[in-house]
Amino acid sequence: MSSRWPTQLVVGTVLIGLFVGIGLMSLVWTPHDAEALNVAARLAPPGTEGHLLGTDRLGRDVTTQIMVGARNSLVVAVVSTAAALVPGVFLGLVTAGSKRASREVLSRATDVALALPGILVALVLATAMGASNTTTMVAITAWFIPVMARVVIGPARQIMAREFVEAARASGRGKWYILIRHVLPNIGPVVIVQTSLLFASAILIEAALSYLGVGAQRPTTSWGMLFNESQAVVGEAPTLVLIPGVVMVLAVLGFNLLGDGLRAALDPRQTTKAVV
Amino acid sequence: MIRLIAHRGAVLLASAMAGSIVVFLLLRLLGGDVATVIMGQGGTPEAREALRAELGLDRSWLEQYLSWIGGLFRGDLGQSYAAQYDIFDEIMSRLGLTLSLALISLAVSMVLGIIAGTYSALNSRNARGGLVDVIAQLGIAIPPFWVGLLLISFVSVQMGWLPSGGYVPWTESFTGAVRSLFLPLTALSIALAGVFTRFARSSMLDVLNEDYIRTAMAKGRTWRRAAVRHGVRNAAIPLVTVGTLQLGGLLAGTVVIETVFTLPGLGRMLMAAVTGREALVVQSLAFVIILVILVLNFLMDVAYGLLDPRIRDAEGATRE
Repeated sequence: MSSRWPTQLVVGTVLIGLFVGIGLMSLVWTPHDAEALNVAARLAPPGTEGHLLGTDRLGRDVTTQIMVGARNSLVVAVVSTAAALVPGVFLGLVTAGSKRASREVLSRATDVALALPGILVALVLATAMGASNTTTMVAITAWFIPVMARVVIGPARQIMAREFVEAARASGRGKWYILIRHVLPNIGPVVIVQTSLLFASAILIEAALSYLGVGAQRPTTSWGMLFNESQAVVGEAPTLVLIPGVVMVLAVLGFNLLGDGLRAALDPRQTTKAVV
Repeated sequence: MIRLIAHRGAVLLASAMAGSIVVFLLLRLLGGDVATVIMGQGGTPEAREALRAELGLDRSWLEQYLSWIGGLFRGDLGQSYAAQYDIFDEIMSRLGLTLSLALISLAVSMVLGIIAGTYSALNSRNARGGLVDVIAQLGIAIPPFWVGLLLISFVSVQMGWLPSGGYVPWTESFTGAVRSLFLPLTALSIALAGVFTRFARSSMLDVLNEDYIRTAMAKGRTWRRAAVRHGVRNAAIPLVTVGTLQLGGLLAGTVVIETVFTLPGLGRMLMAAVTGREALVVQSLAFVIILVILVLNFLMDVAYGLLDPRIRDAEGATRE
């Protein structure tokens, strides 16, 4: 480990800190009540007294909406990524540890599942279960499991071919012992990097779904919802779309940068490759 | 080559079948009773029973599945219950627009990505290359629907340069089609171009170490000319794989963008069916979209084989 942190890691961590910070802060304090309507003060521009980032078309405070929306994004991202983590890594390990024929089948199945876009899965689920935050989380989790498995399979197979695994096998260790004790710890970096990237992806999918109206419903506040509600007045009040979007992009960028930075820090081969 | 096509074709068929079964089962297992969803709690049990018989839902799942797949080949997927259109005809009339959006933005972002990625790789030791990398990183974080809304706000509403929605078919007016699709395509291409730029950059950095670049320089070419003449073509090959991995996301993005710009493609149809909870329409539409992704995937795999003989001749033509 070098004593100086790479720029990517620093910027990424700061952005994530801000995102998590405003999300958590909304639990204890927001400038206004998240659901308070004030039609008299509707469409106030940013910088208005008492409304730093202005108000939306129903007079709700934009700063408050962004903070509460960050909390919702955070919940969806944490729950769906965490729920996909164990089954995804497990599926990847099982595939990597299988014999050639079953590995080929499992690997293909993972590819097919990967080809289905998360948003499409969510739309099918929303038809069946109705639109809600739960539908969003189930859909994102269902899509993340094969993504995680896909990322794990390659590195896990590389580890399986290493000498120390050969030695463990020669000394009579079973397949599962090897997968858990030798392969799993060695693919840790890959899993950590991918988790960070999945967080970014979850934030984007959640926003797209609630923009389409199949994600969270009022009284829950979500970022995508803010875009949906402001689309009709985007000509007169572009900041209603601009500001929440910038906040969202910075949060997504934070997780992407953290993932890239971690990959560079944890996988030295990648670093040398990028430098040469 | 024939072996590659046969292998990929078999994978395509198996995947399509798996996809259709998953979509069918998801809607049956989680959907509850379609007749109740359509009629609400108001309908009498007899009326619900009649509707179920009309929609063919009183038959066994296996019968329903087989008649659905059979209908797909015959071009008969039934009627939308709420909107009273023929599902198959409606899908066919909307397919062109969705394909135009997906394919044009794929091509545009791939070309942009190769140019920007090559530039960034050739300038990897100075600030200009780093700047391209930062822009690409930002581009990936920007969701297409948000770019679409900003474009509507600034380019359509405030400047009045291009329409904020609606679609003029290609057959009616070429310039009209270009005008109506320009903003949606821009919105779709930005994030994708960012992805391609980053992969093209790292691919190009690998290629620059290859022997044939040194050979070309030994023959008197400058480093830059050698890289452009011999490097780009080789660096572009892995991008086909990256492209196939982006297809799903691209089609999903297209669904969302059609809603942003009120374009009458498959995405809008899907949204209306989801909102109306029309399981039969969603089932067919979701499958058609999956089919589009799988067929494009197949075509790109074959193209990959054509571009790179090493893949074509590989035993069993598997890609690691």
